[in-house]
Amino acid sequence: MIIGILTAIGLACGLIIYMVHIKVPQKVKGLEKTEEINSILPGMNCGACGYPGCFGYAQALAKDPDLVVKTPCSQVLQDAEKLEQLEKALGITLDASEMSKKALVHCDGNSEVICSYSGVQTCKAAAQLLRGYKKCPYACLGLDDCVKICPQGAISIDPEKNVAIVDPEECTGCGLCVVECPQDLIELVSPGTKIAFLCSYKPLKNIPGRERCDFGCIHCRKCFKACEDEAIEWNKELAIPEFNQEKCTLCHKCIEVCEQNTLADFTKIGKGKEAELVSV
Amino acid sequence: MNELIAIFLGMVLINNFILVRFLGLCPFFGVSKKLGPAISMGVAVTFVMTIASVATWLIRNYILIPFDIEYMNIVIFILVIATLVQIIELFIKKTNIGLYFAFGIYLPLITTNCAVLGITLINATQNYSFGGSVVAALGGGLGFTLVLAMMSGIREKLELANTPKSMRGLPIAFLIAALLGLAFSGFGGMI
Repeated sequence: MIIGILTAIGLACGLIIYMVHIKVPQKVKGLEKTEEINSILPGMNCGACGYPGCFGYAQALAKDPDLVVKTPCSQVLQDAEKLEQLEKALGITLDASEMSKKALVHCDGNSEVICSYSGVQTCKAAAQLLRGYKKCPYACLGLDDCVKICPQGAISIDPEKNVAIVDPEECTGCGLCVVECPQDLIELVSPGTKIAFLCSYKPLKNIPGRERCDFGCIHCRKCFKACEDEAIEWNKELAIPEFNQEKCTLCHKCIEVCEQNTLADFTKIGKGKEAELVSV
Repeated sequence: MNELIAIFLGMVLINNFILVRFLGLCPFFGVSKKLGPAISMGVAVTFVMTIASVATWLIRNYILIPFDIEYMNIVIFILVIATLVQIIELFIKKTNIGLYFAFGIYLPLITTNCAVLGITLINATQNYSFGGSVVAALGGGLGFTLVLAMMSGIREKLELANTPKSMRGLPIAFLIAALLGLAFSGFGGMI
């Protein structure tokens, strides 16, 4: 009997909500556009766009359609059909390939371990102890923080180099790993990037005894001199190369000339491992 | 009439929801950084409390007591409060969008506020009459708003004060809350 009464009350509550939804007329005008945009958005409320939930994002978009270029919803970018709907709703045209960014880990791994760390097995905890247990204070610690946060499962740890690797095909550019990485190694790059620079070392004065690992950029400028397409500009402040993806022809000369193996072909990152496995 | 006044004063000051009963502490710390949002939160809580008291009084006295299943109080009250908040939100969204945005996120948040469930359960255990329940809910809501407004006023001033670095933000707010609770304990035994 109790079950009957409880069920009846529950059903009555549901029915009342339904009746209110049907019977009360929609008097408010001006929200149609927001509702329309909201219906296109994924509705996961993941917050990667920086707004409080999908409805907040829809409200902001209704006010200023250009916002979609600055803070695109990575879920919509993946879906051509939804992107078309969103273009229609906002009345602007978008170039999905330009906007959908990919995460890139600026570290080649292999940095020497200088002390044994047996604390909490997360990068965040390890990084709080003088920026990790490796020689380079900007090294990837490889304790799975980004692997755990990635909703697409696009990140894996390379067992040989002990460094996180993002598979560009799986990556949706949501940016969650960029925030998660305590070493600030991950950056969102445009999908047309050709050469990846795999080092984040910057001279640190306040942490003595810590220096560049044996595999980082030694600022020799060989890649800058080797490039025949003038696609490399030398950043004098940080003494690192910067790549112009339009001029680069992917001739691999800079990769060949680099003694430290700090440069890599971005189009092959995340795929090389599988290819190796197949060949073995 | 005297009884209603006693209930009202008791709810506002002597048995204040936040500082004496320790209910609804999350909005007390979460929404007490600025005076404006604090007062709108208080008004929203008062509003939902009153309506929830009316609804649960009716259900308790006309369904639960006749069927002798009062021990299901909590389950049914939670269900009723959640439904009520949903209906109110739907109604406001369709009729008055200004009010909807003024309430904003606070209205759905109140669904799970323990102060709202608290007032309905207090009404049930104290066996208040219908009028008593409504007055208790109004008083409880008013007391909640009062304390939230006091706290946010103090915290706005605290932003300017020279607080030690490790005490800035929540730690000093906890201390202030304890002092406020001490002050309110002075009302104990007034009636």
